[in-house]
Amino acid sequence: MNKELTHLRVNGEEREIAITPNRLLLDALREDLGLTGSKRGCDDSSCGCCAVLIDGTPMLSCVALAASYEGREITTVEGLGGPGELDPVQEGYAEMGGAQCGYCTPGFMIATKALLDRNPDPTMDEIREALSGNLCRCTGYMQIYESVKYAIEKLRAKSATQAPATR
Amino acid sequence: MTLPAFRVLQPRTVEDAVRMLDEHRSDAMVIAGGTDVIPNLQMRLFTPRVLVDVKPLRELAVIEFSARQGLHIGATATLTHILETPWMRDKFAVLASAIGTVAGPLQRNMGTIGGNLCLETRCRWYNQSHFWRQSLGGCLKKDGDICHVAPGGKFCWAAWSGDSAPAFLALDAELEIASLSGTRRVPLREFYKNDGMDRIALARNELLTAVHVPAHMAGRRGVYQKLRVRDSIDYPLAGVAVAMEVDSAGICKDARVALSAVNPAPMLVTQAGESLIGRKWSLELAERVAHAAIQTGKPLTTSGSTPVYRRDMVRVFTRRALEETWKNGHGSA
Repeated sequence: MNKELTHLRVNGEEREIAITPNRLLLDALREDLGLTGSKRGCDDSSCGCCAVLIDGTPMLSCVALAASYEGREITTVEGLGGPGELDPVQEGYAEMGGAQCGYCTPGFMIATKALLDRNPDPTMDEIREALSGNLCRCTGYMQIYESVKYAIEKLRAKSATQAPATR
Repeated sequence: MTLPAFRVLQPRTVEDAVRMLDEHRSDAMVIAGGTDVIPNLQMRLFTPRVLVDVKPLRELAVIEFSARQGLHIGATATLTHILETPWMRDKFAVLASAIGTVAGPLQRNMGTIGGNLCLETRCRWYNQSHFWRQSLGGCLKKDGDICHVAPGGKFCWAAWSGDSAPAFLALDAELEIASLSGTRRVPLREFYKNDGMDRIALARNELLTAVHVPAHMAGRRGVYQKLRVRDSIDYPLAGVAVAMEVDSAGICKDARVALSAVNPAPMLVTQAGESLIGRKWSLELAERVAHAAIQTGKPLTTSGSTPVYRRDMVRVFTRRALEETWKNGHGSA
C-alpha cells in the first residue's frame, strides 16, 4: 500500500504525515505524531479511551480513518491546557481523584470538555449521559462526577473574574 | 488489531458514489461513520479493496419535515444530529426514543442513520477476531460450513442488532436507494430479508440515500424498550418499538409494534394492529399482544444472554411499551 501525504490539524497546529489509507486516526496521533495521550482500549469503539474532539465534537479515533479527517480541527488531551497550565477539566480530575490507573482519563477529559463547552451548567443526569460512552474500571465513576463538578465551579469562578458585572 | 489494505475513494456527489460502487462491485464497501465497518474490518469479517467514503456528501445529511412530504432523513445524518433536531421527540417519539438508546453518545456522534439501517447482523460466533474464529473452523456466515448456534442447520441466525429499524418499521418508513439506473423507493419491511447471511435487499452497486416517514405518522405516541447488559454502549439483546395513535377517548386508532435483536431481521408483530385498533387500554389486552409478540421473536443463542430470557423480555417490554404509550400517554404530541 502506498503512503500518501496527509495534512492533519491537531491541537491548533498543521501537521504533515505520510500514511497509508488504512491508517487509523488513533495510530496517526500516537505513532506518527507522538501524541500518546489518546489510548487504545477496546479497539472496537466500545470504551471511549481513544476519544478526541473533531471540530469540538467528541469522537472515537479508533474507528476513524486518519485521512478522512483532513481539514478538521482535531483536539487531543494534550491540546486541552495551554503551555504550562492545566485546563479546568484537567485540574478537576487531578484534584478530585478522577484518575486511578489513568488509562481511561484522557477519554473522560475529552468527553467532559465537550460537555462543558456546550453546556457550562449541566445537571447530574446530563453529566452522566455525556460520559456514558466512556468506561472506567477503577473509580466507580463517583470521583469522576466530582471532578466534573469541580471543573464546573472552576469555570464559573473564572468567567466571573473575567467578565465583571456588565449589567 | 490492524486493518487490511484498501484504497479510500471520496466521491463528491451521489452519482460519483454509485458510479464507484458500480465499477468495483464486490470489491467495494461503503463507509460513513465507521463505527460498524471499521471493527468488522479489524476482525477481517470483510476485506474490501476499496472503501467508498460517503460521509462528506453533505447532500445526504439533510433532515427535513413537511406536512406534505413527511419526514426525510438523509443517510449520512448522524444519530446525534437526529436526536438534537428540536421537533423530533414531539413528532416521532418512537424514533427519538430508539435512537437515544443506540450505543453511547460518542458512537452516536459518528454513526449515521444509513449505517444503523444497514448494520451487519451479529452473532457471538461471528463478531470475533480472525484468530478466534479460525480456531473453531469458522461458521456458516464466515469461512466455515457449520453453524455453532444451530448445529446441523444450514440457515444463519445472526441477529439484527440495530435499534432504529424497529422504530422506523413502527412508523411505516420507506427507503430511498440510488444506483446508476436512478432512484428507487422500497418499503422498509421489504428491505430486510430475515437471513443472517444476506440481511438486506441492497445490491452491491446501490447506495441507501435516505429514509422517509409518511406525514400522517407525525405526532404518534411511541416508545422503544431495549434489553442490554449495560445501559449504554451495548447492542440490543431484545428491543420492542411501539407507535400508536390514540383518540381523545383513549381508543386506539392505529398501532404498530416491531421487534429487534430476536431474529435475523427487525420485524413487525403483524397481529398487534388488529388486536389493538378500536380498543381501550386494559392490562389483559396488553398481555395478549405481548404474548403475540413472543410468536414473532425467535431468539437463539447468538449473544451472551439466553433465548429464554430474551423471549420473556420481549413479552415484558411489549406490555411495558404499550402501557407507557397508551395509558401514560408517553410521547404524545
